[in-house]
Amino acid sequence: MTIAIIDDEQHCIDHLVHLLQPHMDHVEIVSFSTVDQAIKGVDSLRPDIVFLDVQLHDNTGFDFLSSVSYRDFSLIFTTAYEKYAIEAFKFSAIAYLLKPVDRDDFEFAFQKAMDKTEQAQLHERINVLLSNVSKGNSPKRISVPHKEGYVFLLVDHVVRCQADVNYTHIYTSDGKKYTASKTLKHFEQLLAGHQFFRTHNSHLINLGFVTSYHKNGYAVLSDGAKIEVSTRRRDAFIKACAEV
Amino acid sequence: MYIHDSLTIDQTIAPMKRLLCMLSFVAISPYVAAQQFQRELDSLSQLMETQSVTDTATVDLRNHYTKQALFANPSDTTLLDFAEKTLEISQKMGYGRGTMLAYERMALIYQYSFSNPYKAQEFYHKALSLMEEDKKLQPYGWSIYGGIGTLYYEQEEYGKALDFFKRVLKHDKNLELTATANMANIYGSINQLDSAILYYNKALSLEQVKSNPTYKANLHSNLSLIYGQDGQVDSALVSAEKSMALIDDYGIEFVRPTAYANASMAYLGNNDYELAEKYAKLSLELSDAQGNLFLQKSAWGTLADVYAAKGDFSDALEAYKKFSVLKDSLNGQNRRVEINRKQLEFDFEKERTVTKAEIERQTTLKRATLLGGGGLLLASIFGFMLYKRRRDAVEQKKEAEFRAMVSDTELKALRAQMNPHFIFNSLNSIGDYILKNDTGTAMEYLTKFAKLMRMVLENSEFKEIPLEDDLKFLELYLQVEAKRQPGRFTYGITVEEGLDVQNILVPPLLLQPFIENSIWHGFAQKSEQGHISIGIAKQGDMLLCTVDDDGMGWQAESGVPTTKKSFGVAITESRLEILNTQKNAEGKLNITHKGRDKGTRVEVSLPLETIF
Repeated sequence: MTIAIIDDEQHCIDHLVHLLQPHMDHVEIVSFSTVDQAIKGVDSLRPDIVFLDVQLHDNTGFDFLSSVSYRDFSLIFTTAYEKYAIEAFKFSAIAYLLKPVDRDDFEFAFQKAMDKTEQAQLHERINVLLSNVSKGNSPKRISVPHKEGYVFLLVDHVVRCQADVNYTHIYTSDGKKYTASKTLKHFEQLLAGHQFFRTHNSHLINLGFVTSYHKNGYAVLSDGAKIEVSTRRRDAFIKACAEV
Repeated sequence: MYIHDSLTIDQTIAPMKRLLCMLSFVAISPYVAAQQFQRELDSLSQLMETQSVTDTATVDLRNHYTKQALFANPSDTTLLDFAEKTLEISQKMGYGRGTMLAYERMALIYQYSFSNPYKAQEFYHKALSLMEEDKKLQPYGWSIYGGIGTLYYEQEEYGKALDFFKRVLKHDKNLELTATANMANIYGSINQLDSAILYYNKALSLEQVKSNPTYKANLHSNLSLIYGQDGQVDSALVSAEKSMALIDDYGIEFVRPTAYANASMAYLGNNDYELAEKYAKLSLELSDAQGNLFLQKSAWGTLADVYAAKGDFSDALEAYKKFSVLKDSLNGQNRRVEINRKQLEFDFEKERTVTKAEIERQTTLKRATLLGGGGLLLASIFGFMLYKRRRDAVEQKKEAEFRAMVSDTELKALRAQMNPHFIFNSLNSIGDYILKNDTGTAMEYLTKFAKLMRMVLENSEFKEIPLEDDLKFLELYLQVEAKRQPGRFTYGITVEEGLDVQNILVPPLLLQPFIENSIWHGFAQKSEQGHISIGIAKQGDMLLCTVDDDGMGWQAESGVPTTKKSFGVAITESRLEILNTQKNAEGKLNITHKGRDKGTRVEVSLPLETIF
């Protein structure tokens, strides 16, 4: 198995190599410190797993992804604190590790990468990632994991999310319903800051679709759904509506 | 269903916004038509230019000019400089009345041209202090009370506003009309419609109003709104039309935007949506142009109602959002608090001056008691009164300081969450591992530490976080500390079964200082391994959080029980105090010293808060 580490700081490469020590008998490690080297190296060596830093000198890991032609690897981003990038990873359901990398976190991500679960529809997810981090105001998309893989939805088209134990039903503006294998809390955290509001233990709604609010405790959305707003959330809800 | 929708929106919105035009609190001068008014202003400014010497007459003239010019053109912000200059001249001359009125003018400018209630309040209070000092100024000063009343009115503190206007009504006949009219406005705002209608009609019957079409137009306009709310739709329309006729006849621009907004409501009540929408829009345009936020807020509110009644819900929601934003920015809680604090400070200062004067009087009295024994009794009564007064003053000051303490403590709490001690000890430990060439452990320790710092940064942004996140933090913190001192202690975290940790909210990292105390002081000198148990349980409507260790007891270190509270304990106490005040709860901190070598138990009980 070939593992590529793309990072412009040698000590970060060394650290990942150190964390890979227990697996040394069945892996081969290559490393690159610039985007150009990495593109050439990955295209010719075809690694199974790629660890990719966000900031690479004057370029970014995203530049690497948009130029490399071979993409059939498991991808794990590594970053110290780029907040915008972390949000983009979450949106696209792409794995990432925070530096300095914790051993437990590393092992978890590495095992998933070896199972190839990280490879499912990676092409599409990388496209989602690249469109979300591109300059300009292209509409944001999210990768939603469900039982047959991923669906890719425009955030602006998501009307609401409803909890169903450990699953979440997502309703979109074209009248479709998707069931994701993640909890509502996951989507609440993901969509915070994108006009979404948790009105109730089992409801997260897009404020852009609210048409009216009834003082007996529910909001009506443009698709006609009546969504309960719990008493404790009422004031905050009305305030949030006013700020949209 | 849609009709039902509109009703609901209506009911939700209507009580929040009433459009009563507030009349500036100015003694009424006979009305002059717009052009004539401009001429009067011009001649006033000419007069001022020709006067070369500055005397009290100049100051009076300048003050007079400021007021006239302000209400002729409220958006003229250059008046502020002019008023400041007046103040300076008057202060130089030591002209009390002029200074007092100049302060009042500054307040008026801040109130009406800048929509800045704090500054207005500040200047009103400066004017008031002068009036309190010099009884001769009192007859000229009642308009200041009126000004403060309108400020409270704008902030929707109706009870206080009413008090101020009642005082004016009692003391100053010249201000009878404005005081009556404003009281009518307030009764309208607190939904005492009968009283409101009574006071409006009273105001309309006063002699002063006959010569003042501006006032008359305004009163009719407001009366129209109240009739509308009282369900007397016909009377509402009659009053609205009377008001607009006066405005057109005399060109009264000052009242026009509110009169249009109220007329719009009256048409709405008569189901004439076309005219209702037309006047609402005109009103918005005019208030935009004037830059008056208060009026803009009202205009958007009316427009929201009109759209809702027409069944145009998306526009209604748009308008309502605009209305809410303006409303929030106008009387955010902060502004209200700020104004109250200013009032408290002022009252406190006043009390203190009174107390000081009383102390002086008391000294004189004391001398007198040497002469006559009867005086002794009197003095002790005085003494008691003084004590009581001073105590009241202190209490008021305390309340004023409380709010400042809130933000201060929150800041300190943030720091206490991650004691610098802990940070540097962690770094030392890492260095130590490196020295011993145990780089693996050093790295492991470092990454855990980095994770912990990340959590502190994320969690401390919030006032409350889900219990789940707080427990994750404590667990990691304990892991890091256990790693730093292997074999020193073990730990366990028990959460009562059935507690919904995702839904319960707690102030972030409240228990951390106590766990830190256990590790640092409880186990420091203990020879065998210690144990910390952390427990979270529900107790009635409280959440009981405990930290229980079997260490030496925190105080054992020095051998004698210390009376000094640890920083962590003090901070937690004030965080609880704030929480109790804000939520009207009875959160408690209870520390039990189980005895030497037996350990310490800390219990924190919090009001049980949930997200949903």
